[in-house]
Amino acid sequence: MTAKTARGGRRRREAITAGLMLAPAFIGVVLFQYLPLADVLSTSLRRVDPFTRAPVGGPSLTNYSEILADPDFRRALLNTALYIAITICLEIPVALILAITVNQRLPGSRALRAAVIAAMAASETVGALVWSQMYESAFGILNSTLAALHLPQQPFLTSEHQALAAITVMSVWRGVGLPMLIFLGGLQLIPQEVYEAAKVDGVGPLRTLLQITVPLLKPSLVVAAFMSMLSGARIFTPISVMTDGGPNGSTGNLIYYSYQQAFSFQAFGPAAAAAVVMLLLLVVLSVAQARILRSE
Amino acid sequence: MLVKHETGAIRTAVPAARARRRRRTARSAQSVVLSVVAFLFAFPILWMFTSAFKGTKAVVEDAFPLTWKSFVPAHPTMANLARLFTDLHFGRDFVNTLIVSVAQVALTLVVATLAGYAFGRLRFRGRDVLFAATLLGAFVPVEAMVIPMYGVAKHLGLLSTYPGIFLPFAFSPFAIYLMRQSFRSLPDETFEAAKLDGAGILRTFWHVGLPGVIPALASLVLIQFINSWSNFFWPLIAMQDPAKQVAQVTMAGYADNANTPLYGEIFAASTLLTVPLVFLALGLQRYYVAGMASSGLK
Repeated sequence: MTAKTARGGRRRREAITAGLMLAPAFIGVVLFQYLPLADVLSTSLRRVDPFTRAPVGGPSLTNYSEILADPDFRRALLNTALYIAITICLEIPVALILAITVNQRLPGSRALRAAVIAAMAASETVGALVWSQMYESAFGILNSTLAALHLPQQPFLTSEHQALAAITVMSVWRGVGLPMLIFLGGLQLIPQEVYEAAKVDGVGPLRTLLQITVPLLKPSLVVAAFMSMLSGARIFTPISVMTDGGPNGSTGNLIYYSYQQAFSFQAFGPAAAAAVVMLLLLVVLSVAQARILRSE
Repeated sequence: MLVKHETGAIRTAVPAARARRRRRTARSAQSVVLSVVAFLFAFPILWMFTSAFKGTKAVVEDAFPLTWKSFVPAHPTMANLARLFTDLHFGRDFVNTLIVSVAQVALTLVVATLAGYAFGRLRFRGRDVLFAATLLGAFVPVEAMVIPMYGVAKHLGLLSTYPGIFLPFAFSPFAIYLMRQSFRSLPDETFEAAKLDGAGILRTFWHVGLPGVIPALASLVLIQFINSWSNFFWPLIAMQDPAKQVAQVTMAGYADNANTPLYGEIFAASTLLTVPLVFLALGLQRYYVAGMASSGLK
């Protein structure tokens, strides 16, 4: 046996083993991700007779033009963008400050770390139910605290202007632990000498943060921002538990819209079209994000 | 963010003592701030815990105006817990949650480890294309795919079964990505050495690959456990059998009670659902940090 055929045999064995190792993932991904995705795409392009439910004609964009004309859909699109924007703008800076603080090992930082981790362990339903109670406008603990401090009462979830932010704050409270841990992992990779050199050069703390820590954490920032974006886009359980999309449609996002179209109005075509729009939005945002962070 | 003062060379003890004192006050001020922030972060959980021992009426009445009773039950009662385990079958629902979560975590570990190793350590044609195709799944928000997923589950006869609840979530693109990164970040020399010793592919995987990715596996356990434990929307739709329903769904039902939500029971159930996960998260957080650092995130 020459070396070449032995190598070839090993390579073939490697390919076969790889195939076997990938088989479970492949079957699962096809069944539970690609099939539903294909189904959503085809449903979104299908016209259905409203009475017989039979498909009519070939593929068309009717469902898309229908939802685009729907003010509720436009509101849901705007709300989705708001959820994503507020989540990223709150979660990433807060997680970064927490990680840097916790990393300094001051007394009290262990308690802080444990508190953030504990919030992470509360499920979406638990978080939504407990915070609903806290936000309660008539007898909630947040308003009674404001009253005790002689500050004006807030409507929170009953206000069109505050409900979306209130839901996002709950979601960030739960979600900030993961980016914090990602940043802690990133901080461990930064050699201490870098900071010592900065100190010797007399670089101030703020400049150290912006010019040394943040650039060196970029790989972690990219991952954390991506995950933060996805979690902001996927808020659903809190909406259905806390506000049911209200008041006046101010908290419904694309997922909630799609769910309502399907389960309340049996409008499966528009529901699928809304899901596709959601998907495209995520892809576009991710590409944009990757570009921005890479070009910096 | 305060930085320790550069004291420089100190000739006499007096300024040194002063600097030390100043440093100490700065540090204690920081600790006070940190403790306050920690308390605020923990507040919803602490309040949930203390409210679990109040009746529904007390939860509502004690909150306004703000007194010590708002935070601590004046007359602690076990009635909520008792009701949970008698009329509301919370024990059964809790066990259901545990079954589907453990199964989801275990299956995710197996699937992601095998796929991650193949993508990260083996050479074969079309590897990168397949990997990209897997990653595409990360963009598909499961919540937006519930209707077609319902169709798939129906065809496979998975509706109202335990596997129907956890299977759709066990093939996580993120998990496969994380395992691939972790396997790739291991030093090549050990793999070369195993090859020279004549170890086959599977033996190399078992003895060289797996021991190196323990932190990544632990962080997957944490993430997937939190995700599966949180799962609400899918079981709400795909599980029609009340005997197998998960606790997150049944608990949300306590809020839809006829006249007032069952606040006492909600807080008691929330506490029982949160406490085990808090311990799990506190135990596994170190590994998550290490897993994130070791996977290099390059």
